[in-house]
Amino acid sequence: MTGINANIGISIIVSAILYGTPLVFAGIGELFAERSGVLNLGVEGMMLMGAVTAFLVSQRLHGPNALVLLVAVAVAILASTAMAAIHAFVTITLRANQIVSGLTLTIFAGVIGLSSYIGESNNLGAIAGKHQFSELNVFGLAHLPVIGPILFHQSAMVYLSWLLVILAVLYLYRTRVGLHLRSVGESPRSADAMGINVTRYRYIHTLLGGALAGMGGSLFTLQIATNWIDGITAGAGWIAIALVIYSFWRPELLIIGAYLFGAFTSFGFDLQARGVISIPSEFWSALPYLMTIIALVLVSLGSIRRRLGTPAGLGIPYVRGES
Amino acid sequence: MTDDPTTTRQSAYLNASLREGTPRLVGAGPVPALATRGVTKHFPGVVANDRVSFEVMPGEIHALLGENGAGKTTLCNVLTGLYRPDEGYVEVRGEQAAFHSPRDAHDAGIFMVHQHFTLVQPLTVAQNVILGWSRRRGIWFSPRRVEREIAEIAEQFHVPIDPSTKIWQLSMGEQQRVEILKALYRGARTLILDEPTTVLTPQEVRQLFETLRGMAASGTSVVFISHKLPEVLAVSDRVTVLRAGKAMGTVRTADTDAKSLAHLMVGRDIMLGRKGSSGKTNAAQAVLSLSDVSATGDLGTPAVVGVCLEVHPGEIVGVAGVAGNGQRELAEVIAGERPHTAGTITIAGRPQHGTPWEAIDAGLGYVPEERMGVGVAPGLTIADNLRLKSYREDGHGPLLHAKRGLRNATELIERFDIVARGPKTLARELSGGNVQRLLLARELSSHAKVLVAASPTRGLDVASTESVRQLLTESADRGVGVLLISEDLDEILDLADRIAVMYRGRVVGVLDRDGADIDHIGLMMSGVAS
Amino acid sequence: MIRFAAREKVPRWLNYAVPLGSVILAVIVAGIFLAATGHNPLTTYKNIIQASITQPGAFSSTLVSMTPLLFTGLAAAVAFRMRIWNIGSEGQLYMGAVGASGVGLLLHNLPGPVLIVAMMAGGIAAGTLWAAVPGALRAYLNTNEILTTLMLNYVAANIMYYLIFDSNSYWRDLTSPSARVFPQGKNLASTANWPPLQLGSVTIPFGLLLAAGFAVLLWGVIRSTKYGFEMRVVADSPPAARYAGIKTRRKILSLMALSGGIAGLGGASQVGDFSHVLDPRGLEQAGFGYTGIVVAALGRYNPVAVVVTSFFIGMLVNAGYALQGPGFPIGVTGTMEGILLFCVLGSEIFTRYHVTIRAPRRATAIRPVPKPPAAVLPASAHEEVPS
Repeated sequence: MTGINANIGISIIVSAILYGTPLVFAGIGELFAERSGVLNLGVEGMMLMGAVTAFLVSQRLHGPNALVLLVAVAVAILASTAMAAIHAFVTITLRANQIVSGLTLTIFAGVIGLSSYIGESNNLGAIAGKHQFSELNVFGLAHLPVIGPILFHQSAMVYLSWLLVILAVLYLYRTRVGLHLRSVGESPRSADAMGINVTRYRYIHTLLGGALAGMGGSLFTLQIATNWIDGITAGAGWIAIALVIYSFWRPELLIIGAYLFGAFTSFGFDLQARGVISIPSEFWSALPYLMTIIALVLVSLGSIRRRLGTPAGLGIPYVRGES
Repeated sequence: MTDDPTTTRQSAYLNASLREGTPRLVGAGPVPALATRGVTKHFPGVVANDRVSFEVMPGEIHALLGENGAGKTTLCNVLTGLYRPDEGYVEVRGEQAAFHSPRDAHDAGIFMVHQHFTLVQPLTVAQNVILGWSRRRGIWFSPRRVEREIAEIAEQFHVPIDPSTKIWQLSMGEQQRVEILKALYRGARTLILDEPTTVLTPQEVRQLFETLRGMAASGTSVVFISHKLPEVLAVSDRVTVLRAGKAMGTVRTADTDAKSLAHLMVGRDIMLGRKGSSGKTNAAQAVLSLSDVSATGDLGTPAVVGVCLEVHPGEIVGVAGVAGNGQRELAEVIAGERPHTAGTITIAGRPQHGTPWEAIDAGLGYVPEERMGVGVAPGLTIADNLRLKSYREDGHGPLLHAKRGLRNATELIERFDIVARGPKTLARELSGGNVQRLLLARELSSHAKVLVAASPTRGLDVASTESVRQLLTESADRGVGVLLISEDLDEILDLADRIAVMYRGRVVGVLDRDGADIDHIGLMMSGVAS
Repeated sequence: MIRFAAREKVPRWLNYAVPLGSVILAVIVAGIFLAATGHNPLTTYKNIIQASITQPGAFSSTLVSMTPLLFTGLAAAVAFRMRIWNIGSEGQLYMGAVGASGVGLLLHNLPGPVLIVAMMAGGIAAGTLWAAVPGALRAYLNTNEILTTLMLNYVAANIMYYLIFDSNSYWRDLTSPSARVFPQGKNLASTANWPPLQLGSVTIPFGLLLAAGFAVLLWGVIRSTKYGFEMRVVADSPPAARYAGIKTRRKILSLMALSGGIAGLGGASQVGDFSHVLDPRGLEQAGFGYTGIVVAALGRYNPVAVVVTSFFIGMLVNAGYALQGPGFPIGVTGTMEGILLFCVLGSEIFTRYHVTIRAPRRATAIRPVPKPPAAVLPASAHEEVPS
């Protein structure tokens, strides 16, 4: 009996990590952008750009697996960063409304936009992937019970995502630049008064958000699904945005949330298939969003807001001398 | 715009400040740490500083005393490099200096602590202090090491603060100490504090004075801007009094007293009172009555404390006092925009529970201090702004009558001399004086029984000021009770029948205009007498 | 270095020149994109116009595409002009579809006109309720409505999917043989079809008439009623609204509800005008809610302008579907929409600000020339922004 339960548990965790890793990348990226005060609702679009360009490279480039994957991810990063650059320029320099701009980016790059265009014009639909990230056997320990499959049998990108979270935590809380970032997001006026270039920080971190979103997106076509469908991310970008809030803008909480939400994604299918629970899969799909709403209400209740809350300068264009 | 501004010049000054500060002796006598020589600064229509010279010695606490508009803040902005003087210059340690920016002033060791803090709430004290510039180089910072570093500095300069607390956990006084620490960390030799006690409780004021004395003892010079005589007398070594842009003189605090300082600060010839102010005692029931009203300010500190005040129909009651003593909050409380925590407010006999619409209903007219954006909606037309409150009475149904609104607007524009292309001009295109006329046109034509006017002539040119004052007088003549809140003592002396003086949120005295002693008012405004 | 300085006076002509200029810019940029990807821009534009207007039946198809966009565009315009960022019109539309189809199925015995009105009511009610929750949270708890409405979009989508794909709900067709294999919704009775208006060769959907009527009504309300006046004051300056005694919190809630109701009616129109069944996949793929926000932004949140912009985007969407094929991938539609909106968004600053570009000086002054002290200038108000 325990063996079966343990198996279910491990497979849930492994699924959670698989589906959660793109969320970690995109989520950390959006976290950085929001920490600098820029709300980027275009994550879904940026992820799709990453996904399609990575797939395109993996189809067209010939060479050893590792090299092709490396170039594919690099190109994905370039594409998604370019998207983020548009949003950054329009909202930071031209001071347009961040919400509308982000949504425009999703439409521009998303399901009926540029990513779809690239996919269709290169006939990328419904063909098998040639290169993908496969699980590594780290230190040869993949056979260990329980921790083997979880810790030592993951793909390179998963390990990279763990490194990313550690670096993000160190960056935010242990570096001076990270300190400056936090102040830019919380109080651009004070940061500016202290000689910190608010505009530069916002640009850099919005672009960084784009790059990471592209990395997350590339996972869809290079690991999870290994082919290209229009809109393959299926809302992962929106979940990433939800995650940032749900984790109160802290990377260490974000990765837990990402795996939690990743588990929900696979829950529905998994449990239903085994006939274990009769809760409909839609419930699990909706749960991350419901949980985020509750988190939002909590965050807006005064005292908690101060401790855990939204970067106070989020969403507001910063103009020196005004406001 | 760089992030990391460590220049060799700055480190040189830093190193110098870390050594025990001793003034260089040049020639005969000690050299002032900081001085202005004949500094003059013009702004359009105003001479903010008129050949002002004063000196601050090392290790001295020097107070700059004066009313609003006396030129204290402008002078300090010159000292900190925010403004460049039109004439005269700043002298640092005996050498002429020319500051192009606050950074230059910082390099010279001159720092200012403003009334509005630039602190990041969720970060700790230590993090705020090192924000933007740190003595150590390197990417990493360890919170604990930074905290120890700041704790050392805090001790060195006798600033009691725990570096690991977050800003939102601190009281105003403690936050101010963080601002002081920031300056000290960056090597301040001269610290300028702009009205530092505005946001402090009495205990915090005492703690601040201790801190300042400690700093002075270790060689730092302090310039203390204030209008509050008791504090100036308590903490300063010398006082320079400014009035209307001129320096009236510098005295040693020990050699002077409140009365003489008040006279220097405020002294003027007695003005004629309002024409028609017959000194009649007004037996009619008050249209505005405050009984023991208290309220809290934006920062959580008490702003209005136990205020009792009455305004009768046909009279102008002036509220005098230096800005920041609760006048703005008092106006907001009366208008229902700020909840009052104690006492009762009655408008035309109707008790107020603290909502704007209730006050408007009861017959309150309110000309707020902030015109564009509060009193007037900038993106709406003049016509719309004129019916900003009266639209409710327009007809019976849900519809607005556009034509009638335009007609009314045209009429009012003419009657009140608002200079504009027409009633459809957007409010944001109007000049300051016309905005004010717009506001008054609206409030005075609305059958208000009480009019609260907060700083109604601030920023206006001479002609507009005249017409506004005339409008106020006329409305009082017609039976409206006017509460005139103004930082301009002359204006109050000109217009008011009775004068209430506010200091630190309290009404410290109410006098009849006739026979009022100006010096006495000055003392009340500075917190000395009642 | 690009510097912006606020203009003192905004010349009237600029308010028209800038949007017009940005549209022209968008046409040029899109043309460059088309050329760079191997399409002849002029031919493409010609094809778009043919596929959306001139070819037989094209105009009517464009109107079909336009209808939901007008609904969601109005919903977004109503909210956004008040700086209430309702991006939940997507979910509110879904719920409107659920409500309307439910009512339509339930009351199928009622005569046509009554049934149609009941469907409208069902759609409006569902959309209103779906928006009222985040509206109340924003009005009374100041909870960020951007995120709550966004989250509710996904919850609404899941509810739709559940009803059709995962449950034996009332909405699901359980009888026909094909239905047992492929989950699908129950078709509504033909009496529930909303009657279109036929003008010559052009078919105008009933929903479009409703929406256009709504647009005019809204415009009238904003201009000439007390409610609309209060809306305008709150939209321009929330502190001034409070000063004037306007109950801002109630206003925010009522506006969110109104916005949701309009979107919900759009969902009802989808069911009543076009699909006659609850079709979760179709609704989700279409993304009417998000496109509606684009439409509203292009129209600067003015209801009458939104009619125009929804038509043009409807043209684009319709042409996208009609021309879809190897020469014209569907992705062109979204790309061109995006280019258009980015150009319009990015150009708004030029109406209020003056731009100068000059080489960066070795700046000694890190702050711009400071304003003279408050004694000389009037104080300026703070803008209230969403938290």
